[in-house]
Amino acid sequence: MTRISEMPDSPAPGPARVGIGGPVGSGKTALIEALIPIFVERGVELAVVTNDLVTKEDARRLQAGGLIDPRRVVAVEAGACPHTVIREDPTLNIAAADDLEARFPGLDLILIESGGDNLASTFSLDLVDWWMFVIDVGQGDDIPRKRGPGIMLCDLLVVNKLDLAPHVFVDAQAILAEAREVRAGTPVIGCRCKGAQIEGVAEIADAIMRAVLFRQVAA
Amino acid sequence: MDIYTSILGAADAAEHHDRLHHLAHHHAVDVLRLSRADLARRRLRTRTEAGLEVAIALPREQKLFEGALLALTEDRALVVRVETEHWLRLAPRDTAAALRLGYFCGNLHWRVRFEQAHVLVAVETDARVYLERLEGLLAEGVVTLLPDAGAAK
Ligand SMILES: Nc1nc2c(ncn2[C@@H]2O[C@H](COP(=O)(O)OP(=O)(O)OP(=O)(O)O)[C@@H](O)[C@H]2O)c(=O)[nH]1
Ligand SMILES: [Mg+2]
Repeated sequence: MTRISEMPDSPAPGPARVGIGGPVGSGKTALIEALIPIFVERGVELAVVTNDLVTKEDARRLQAGGLIDPRRVVAVEAGACPHTVIREDPTLNIAAADDLEARFPGLDLILIESGGDNLASTFSLDLVDWWMFVIDVGQGDDIPRKRGPGIMLCDLLVVNKLDLAPHVFVDAQAILAEAREVRAGTPVIGCRCKGAQIEGVAEIADAIMRAVLFRQVAA
Repeated sequence: MDIYTSILGAADAAEHHDRLHHLAHHHAVDVLRLSRADLARRRLRTRTEAGLEVAIALPREQKLFEGALLALTEDRALVVRVETEHWLRLAPRDTAAALRLGYFCGNLHWRVRFEQAHVLVAVETDARVYLERLEGLLAEGVVTLLPDAGAAK
C-alpha cells in the first residue's frame, strides 16, 4: 500500500531522472532501445536526453528508430570531455531535462545517456536521481577489478553483450561474479541488448521502477 | 510504503521543538540515516532505522539536509540524519609532495577538504579503494596516512 504524504500546495516532484554512463560503444544507446518497448508496455511515460561530443548521432538514431516520439528525444552536444557535462557542470543536461519536463507534463521518467567515457566517469546527483554504468564483456574480463569510480559508485552496474563472451575468450559468469565482489553486494545485472534473444533488460527496467518510480515489481 | 514529496522544515526549528521533544519521549521519532552523498538525491528508496520502507520524491528545487523533517504527526516524526563521514587524513612531506597529492586527488575527482597542511579525502566507497590508488605515493614516503582519520567533522 502506497501512501503519498505531501504538503498542500507543494510543487509536484516531476519525473525521475536516470543516468546511463559507460565507455564508448558499451551499448548505452542499445540498452535504451531495448528498454523503450518494455517501458511503453508498462505504461511508463518516457523521454531521453543524449550526449555526444560534437554531433547528435545518438539522438538521431533514437528519433529515427520509430520506438519513441522523436520530440521526446533531446540531444546535448557536450563539446568537451563527456564527464564534464554530467558531473562538474551539468547545467546543459539539467536544462534539457527541464525542457522535456515542461513540454511533456505527464512524464514519469527521463533517461540521460552520457557520451562514452572512461571508467572514472560518474554522474552528479544534482542531474540524476540514480544512475547505471554500462560495460561490456568485450572490454576484457579484468574491467571490474580495475575498480574505476564509474564501476564502484553507480547504483547499478550493467555488464552488456553477454552473447559475445565466447568470441572474446572471456567467462561471462566469472566477470559477473567478480563485479559483484568488488561492488560488495550492490546491484550488478548482466544483459544482452541486441539480437533475437534479448536478456536481462526486463530486470534492468524492474530495478529502475523499484528504485525511482516506486512501483512494486515482482521480486 | 510512504512516499514523501516535500520537506516539512528543520527538526531544530523552534516551532517543532515541543512536539518533537514529546515524541522523542515516546520513542516515536524515527530516523532516516543517509550518507552525505545521498543527500543530493531528489528521489530515493530506503529504510528508516525503525525498519520502515520509505521513498522520497522531492521537487528539483528542494534538497535534503541534516535534520530535514519529513513527517510530523500526532504520533510520529521522521527526521533525516547524515551518517558520520570517514575521511583519510593525508600529510604530504613537503611542498612538492603537496602539489603531487593535490593534483592526484583532483584527477580522481575525490572529494577533499584541507586542514592546515593536511588533505582530507572523503571515503565514499571502501577505504581500500582509495588506499590502493595512493599506494605509490605512500610507498615512496612522500605522503603519510595519519591515524586520526574519523575525527574530522
Ligand atoms: N553482440 C552484441 N552487440 C551489442 C549489444 N549491445 C550493443 N551492441 C553493439 O555494440 C555497438 C555499440 O552500441 P551502442 O548502443 O551504440 O553503444 P553506446 O554505448 O551507446 O556507444 P557511444 O554512445 O558511442 O558511447 C553497436 O554496434 C551495437 O549493435 C549486445 O548485447 N550484443
Ligand atoms: Mg550511444
